[in-house]
Amino acid sequence: MGKQKQKKAARRDEAPPQVTAPPPRPVEKPAFWFGFEVSWSKLLAARVVIFTLLALDALLAIRHAPRYGAGGFNVAQLPFLDRLGPTRISYLVGELLNATLFTFAALGVATRFVVPAAAAIYAWLYLGSQLDSYQHHYLVALILLLASFVPWQRPVDAKPATPVRSWALRLILVQLGILYFWAAISKLDPAWLDGRTLGGQIKVGADTLIDVRSLIDSTIGIRAMSNLVVLVELALAFIVWMPRAWFVAAPLGILFHLGIVLSGLEIGLFAWLMIGFYTLLLPDRAWIFLGEELARFGKARRIPPLAAPFCALAALGLAAVTRTDHALAVACVVVAVTFAAAMWRGGMEAVGRAGVACVVAVGLWLVVDRTSAVTTDYYKFWGGSARRLGDLDGAERAYRRMVDVAPDDVLGHLQLGRLLLGRGDELDGMAELHEAQRVAPKDRRAFDEETRYLQAHGRASQPVK
Amino acid sequence: MNDLPIIGAALQLTKSWRGRFILAFLAIQLLLPLRYYVAHRDPHDERFAWRMFSPMRMAHCTPSFAVNGAPLQLGATFHEAWNEIATRGRFSVVEAMGAELCRQHPNTPVVVTLKCDYIDRDPQTYGGYDICTVPEL
Repeated sequence: MGKQKQKKAARRDEAPPQVTAPPPRPVEKPAFWFGFEVSWSKLLAARVVIFTLLALDALLAIRHAPRYGAGGFNVAQLPFLDRLGPTRISYLVGELLNATLFTFAALGVATRFVVPAAAAIYAWLYLGSQLDSYQHHYLVALILLLASFVPWQRPVDAKPATPVRSWALRLILVQLGILYFWAAISKLDPAWLDGRTLGGQIKVGADTLIDVRSLIDSTIGIRAMSNLVVLVELALAFIVWMPRAWFVAAPLGILFHLGIVLSGLEIGLFAWLMIGFYTLLLPDRAWIFLGEELARFGKARRIPPLAAPFCALAALGLAAVTRTDHALAVACVVVAVTFAAAMWRGGMEAVGRAGVACVVAVGLWLVVDRTSAVTTDYYKFWGGSARRLGDLDGAERAYRRMVDVAPDDVLGHLQLGRLLLGRGDELDGMAELHEAQRVAPKDRRAFDEETRYLQAHGRASQPVK
Repeated sequence: MNDLPIIGAALQLTKSWRGRFILAFLAIQLLLPLRYYVAHRDPHDERFAWRMFSPMRMAHCTPSFAVNGAPLQLGATFHEAWNEIATRGRFSVVEAMGAELCRQHPNTPVVVTLKCDYIDRDPQTYGGYDICTVPEL
């Protein structure tokens, strides 16, 4: 046996080296900010939940795009942005891009770049026009600014319990506390405390899962509930950022926001987003347990670079069947930029991952398009606002697209028919009205419209074909 | 003073860019909403003040615009979303709508009147004069 082999055998016989935890990294002062840590599994859960909700929110906001730039009028949140505010198309493209960037962030793809990019687009869309009056969008703009400094990417060799340090996460939680604080202050008003305001906002028999107003009235009453809301907001203002109090803050906050969902006061996905932020308050050990259980199913496999072209084709194919305006053009840009960036920053290894991320992101566009009324609402609102503001060519384009994407929706045929008749195109106009009558035979509007037109043209006795 | 933990922590924060960012962010977020309570011109404008579901949100206003004495149909001039914001009484939007009408109708008086009802105070009327001459409500 050679000396080398003897040495190797001796090394094998030695007791295994003691596995010791690496010494904790020194904490920069003040530790309140710079020593704030959460487990990697919790950060991962928060990343997935928050950015997925933001991606959905971005796609659902597309229905509002037609109001932007309509009539050439805009008032920005900040006066110097009046002329730089979004238009219908730039708003739509901005939301599609943001949905993509949020999906990438949820998947952990290049978060150092995609989160700041999404924050910039989001801030422009929000600050560029007062049409977006939702305070939760202001909150999201701030949170995204802070999220740009959070290390969302998986640390090297991280286990579910590996602590991740982030001052920005602490600041996000403090920001939530500030929001609750000022929200409570705004309610220290006799008109809130005596129940008038809440009573005016939560109606009896509202179209909600449960009749919250009746429930309140038959238990503690609207006045006591109003006071309770102030107390809860004040409590959350001081405990939402305090880890030692999270065992109180988490159930209190989640129940509070679920109550808002059930009461019908929900605006967009605000309450759900707030619940999403509470992933950061749920106990680390729960997320670590979940992370370890999921890790048993095996590690994530490397995606071979050869998959990339197929992913690119799949993403473009999904975009082609998405009915959202300009979806294919935006998808082409997204795929090209993503692949170029992946090649440049990460080489061939990153290209496979980028391809899968593109497929998931564009797949989400398609899912939201096909499972919600966003696309038909977009064309309906575009046609309606263009018609009212006198842009009849724009209205015709919108209604023709609406008829294409939703041939069974009576409104598109009806409005297109009215528009064409108004422009003197009787043949096509009548054809659209007849299609509306065929699609919805119990809806009187298309029949009335035809009768009115025939009467106006002295052909009232002519049978309706 | 430096012995107070919060003062000491604040001073430590000034030593790094991250700390200065935190201080600036907190200062803005604590002070910006104060503007609504101490220095607002428009009681209906609750932006940046975190006044979700506040009593002021229940205010309902009726804006009316008259160009050269003739009442204007807002729906044919501005998108309905702007008209809806105007019914919440936001001065900056109503004033901008007035300014837009002044541009569209040069040398013509545009009289803007905003009548608002509240749940906790008497109704108020703002404006009632030519906004091309006096551009603020």
